Amino acid sequence: MTWLTPLTGLILAAAVIPPLVLLYFLKLRRRTQKIACTILWQRSIEDLQANAPFQKLRRNILLLLQLLALILLALSVMQPQVRAGDLTGGKTIFLIDHSASMNATDTADGRPRLEHAKDLLRERIEARYSRGLLGGDPGESMIIAFSDRAEIVARFTSSRQQLLRAVDRIQPTHGETKIEQALELARAYTTNIVDEMGEARPTGEPADLELYSDGQIADLNRQVLRGETLIYHAFGSDAPDNVAIAAMSVERPFARPTFIEVFASLVNFNENPVTCDVQVSVDGTALGIRTIEIPAGRFDEAADLFIPGRNNVVFAPFEQPRGAVIEVANLRSDDLGLDNVAQLSIPPAKRLEVALVAPKSFVIRSALEGMPLERLDVLTARQFDELVEHQQTDRYDVIVLDSHVPETMPNGRYLVFGDAPPVDGLNAYGEGGRQLILNVRDEHPAMRYVDLNNLIIQSFTALQPDDDVRILAEGSAGPAIVAVDRSGLNMIYVTNDVLDSNWPMLTSFITFVFNAVEHLGHIGESLVSESLRPGEALTARLPAGAQDIELTLPTGRSERLTPPDPTQMSWGPIRLTGPHVLSWTDAARGERETRAHAVNLFSETEGNLRVVEELSFGEDRIAGRRAGDGRYTALWPYALLLCLMLLMIEWWVYHRKMTI
Amino acid sequence: MSQFGVPTETPPRRVDELISSELMAKLNQVDVFSKKIFAGKLQGERRSKKRGQSVEFADYRHYTHGDDLRFVDWNIFARLDKLFIKMFLEEEDLSLVIAIDSSKSMHWGNPSKFIYAQKLAMALGYIGLVNQNRVSLFSFNSGGLLPLTNLRGGRRVQEMGAWLLKLEAEGGSGFDDAMRSISMTRQGKGVMLILSDFLFKEGYEKGLRYLAGGGYDTFCMQLLSPEEIDPGAAGLQGDLRLTDIEDDDVAEVTVSGALLKKYKDNLNAYCGKLREFCVRRGMMHMTIDSKTDLNVLLMDYLRKRGLLR
Repeated sequence: MTWLTPLTGLILAAAVIPPLVLLYFLKLRRRTQKIACTILWQRSIEDLQANAPFQKLRRNILLLLQLLALILLALSVMQPQVRAGDLTGGKTIFLIDHSASMNATDTADGRPRLEHAKDLLRERIEARYSRGLLGGDPGESMIIAFSDRAEIVARFTSSRQQLLRAVDRIQPTHGETKIEQALELARAYTTNIVDEMGEARPTGEPADLELYSDGQIADLNRQVLRGETLIYHAFGSDAPDNVAIAAMSVERPFARPTFIEVFASLVNFNENPVTCDVQVSVDGTALGIRTIEIPAGRFDEAADLFIPGRNNVVFAPFEQPRGAVIEVANLRSDDLGLDNVAQLSIPPAKRLEVALVAPKSFVIRSALEGMPLERLDVLTARQFDELVEHQQTDRYDVIVLDSHVPETMPNGRYLVFGDAPPVDGLNAYGEGGRQLILNVRDEHPAMRYVDLNNLIIQSFTALQPDDDVRILAEGSAGPAIVAVDRSGLNMIYVTNDVLDSNWPMLTSFITFVFNAVEHLGHIGESLVSESLRPGEALTARLPAGAQDIELTLPTGRSERLTPPDPTQMSWGPIRLTGPHVLSWTDAARGERETRAHAVNLFSETEGNLRVVEELSFGEDRIAGRRAGDGRYTALWPYALLLCLMLLMIEWWVYHRKMTI
Repeated sequence: MSQFGVPTETPPRRVDELISSELMAKLNQVDVFSKKIFAGKLQGERRSKKRGQSVEFADYRHYTHGDDLRFVDWNIFARLDKLFIKMFLEEEDLSLVIAIDSSKSMHWGNPSKFIYAQKLAMALGYIGLVNQNRVSLFSFNSGGLLPLTNLRGGRRVQEMGAWLLKLEAEGGSGFDDAMRSISMTRQGKGVMLILSDFLFKEGYEKGLRYLAGGGYDTFCMQLLSPEEIDPGAAGLQGDLRLTDIEDDDVAEVTVSGALLKKYKDNLNAYCGKLREFCVRRGMMHMTIDSKTDLNVLLMDYLRKRGLLR
């Protein structure tokens, strides 16, 4: 039994009953009765008072009746209810919300809302199907679980076991709450008439719907009830605590293409400001923490909307030339953990297509062949000139010129060895003699980890470069390596022929070629990192020969995929947030490759954990029953009726007593 | 609808309302009996333990100086030459004293204890008068003692009746003073009847002690009304403020089974204590319900108890 307004009833009882008893004690309304002598009565009272301090109240039927009537009145004010079970029979469809917000742990025992909803649903099923022989036909039930999409967990059945097993199968998702599909499914099983207006109408008695949700339903304003009765069980506390990462982006600064910059937007759904530590990490390794303050959310009365507080955080750019999973985490713990983490996957470094023009030796070619390139074409000088002539140099990401000097240098990205290319600003003026390297600008990506101390150059092209030409390595007799970065033209020029030095014998040569080709190949490449959301499909263009394709879910579970066409692969719907890692074996190269896809919640509907107490389906307003409420039978009318009967008996007894 | 305990019967206004002629006829057959034979001022119609002048021979004894020579048995003197005095059982009159409690509490109950006492006193007095006993009546209350003494003979019946009719129940009991006065003004010995409810707040012990050992054959006739004997059966219930009609003393009660039982226990204990007190001092005690038929009381109960024969 539960009480709706216990406090009111207790206050009433406390206000009325003690005064009644007190009145009986202090000033019992007594009739005066003259008698011959009070001597014997006095003795009797003294005897009884000695025996029982409450003798005045004992067997005082009037007081007893009045007390009983008052107690019943107080009880009826407390509005007692008993769980009546499902008395209707017929068809019932249980709609259970297993969206992201149902993962919130703002419950008394810290378990997720969904677990409470499942507990109540189990109770309801038990109550409905455990009524014994006299319970009558309990009817059939169906269970639909819904988040961003709906699925039937149990079809119409009257088997308690089947229904309970179906409830056990319901798993939390990280999707948004959309009820439309669930209602459509429910109606599909209960309606089969389409009227002249094109509206589906229920046949016979429409099913009873029972909704187990927190009421944060994104598409609620588009829904109406079509004659169904709906009971809404609301789950969650009145003042949940949640700060969510609402958006995140990763960009590469134009000037420093190997760097990335991380932005995140945080929203505060609480009614007080909060301070959060926000951490950024790369492939699971924390790189930095920023502390930000987020203003309180407020309720806009005019719009009838809760507007959360919002603040952004920008992390200092850091170098990340390779592909990685960037994660931003709000370290403040709250009631919903899954929107405290957002991830973005930077695509892996693009495989470059490189052309080597007129190699004089195998040295450069060997270095290039050791790189993970998409394609390496060795062109003759003639072929290259034809490309220039047809303006097709952009077919290659990087073109390596080994002492070949074209007539013009079209826009593109070049690594040039030996003779000076026809580029303004280099100002070659002859040939230099033997020189050593004195200074290296190792902050340039191409010069990273390139040790030129042991390099001895026999001859080189002497330059008098303009100011916009950056000298990356300064030799004892002139610039050894220069970089030209102009609009459309990026070039690194090594002033000597590699064979005129001992460089091929040094490891720094391989490092340099690798750095320079990677740097030139990725210049201007914008970082496109898309975030998926639960409910969407994961699509990927894998190489045509991809084999053994596996998808590793955020839970760590792997799923083997066999798409008919790997170049147009798709998987879905996505259920969980977190990194979804695709891995495959490239048949051409025989290597195992991976690609991470980030899935983030980024939903303010789900982040707002406030329980909606009343759902509006068009004109229908459905008040929510708090978790634990069931279908109850009110007992107060019975208590009141009993109270009235007692008052009548009391009246009758009073008149009998007054008649001597 | 009558109120609890308030007498509904009209007080008697004529002597024949006090005693009916049928009852008088029946009472002519009975006499007041005393287990002792008392010496009286005049020769009455009963034997005395004293040997004396009578027609009924009792014994002889030796003549001693001063004896009345009229009682010498000269025949024996002739034969034995000794003087013997003939002794006869002497017949003496009986002094019957009736004390009526005329406190206000007596006029309560249905039937009223006071009216019942008036009628009983009339009947007993009548018996005394017609049997040539010396009858004295006393009415007592807190206002004092109202006597009517030394009546004898049937012609005084009207006078006694008129006196009884004039009595009114009022005031407190005044029992102690009344008993002291009666014992002091006592003349000779006799039977004393006290008609009262004996419910005295000051107690009955002191008053009765005045009478103990005074030569009276005392009968305490405790008159109680049905309302006093069983208030529950008589209809007493509810939450009541019981007020004493004599002194306005108040007892607030909620009538319950337990209380009524306790009341009855107390009443029995009270009466038992009175009876024990009386027996210890050679007095008789009897409790009389005021609804008891006077005929039955006089012709049956009192005969069985030895007051009448």
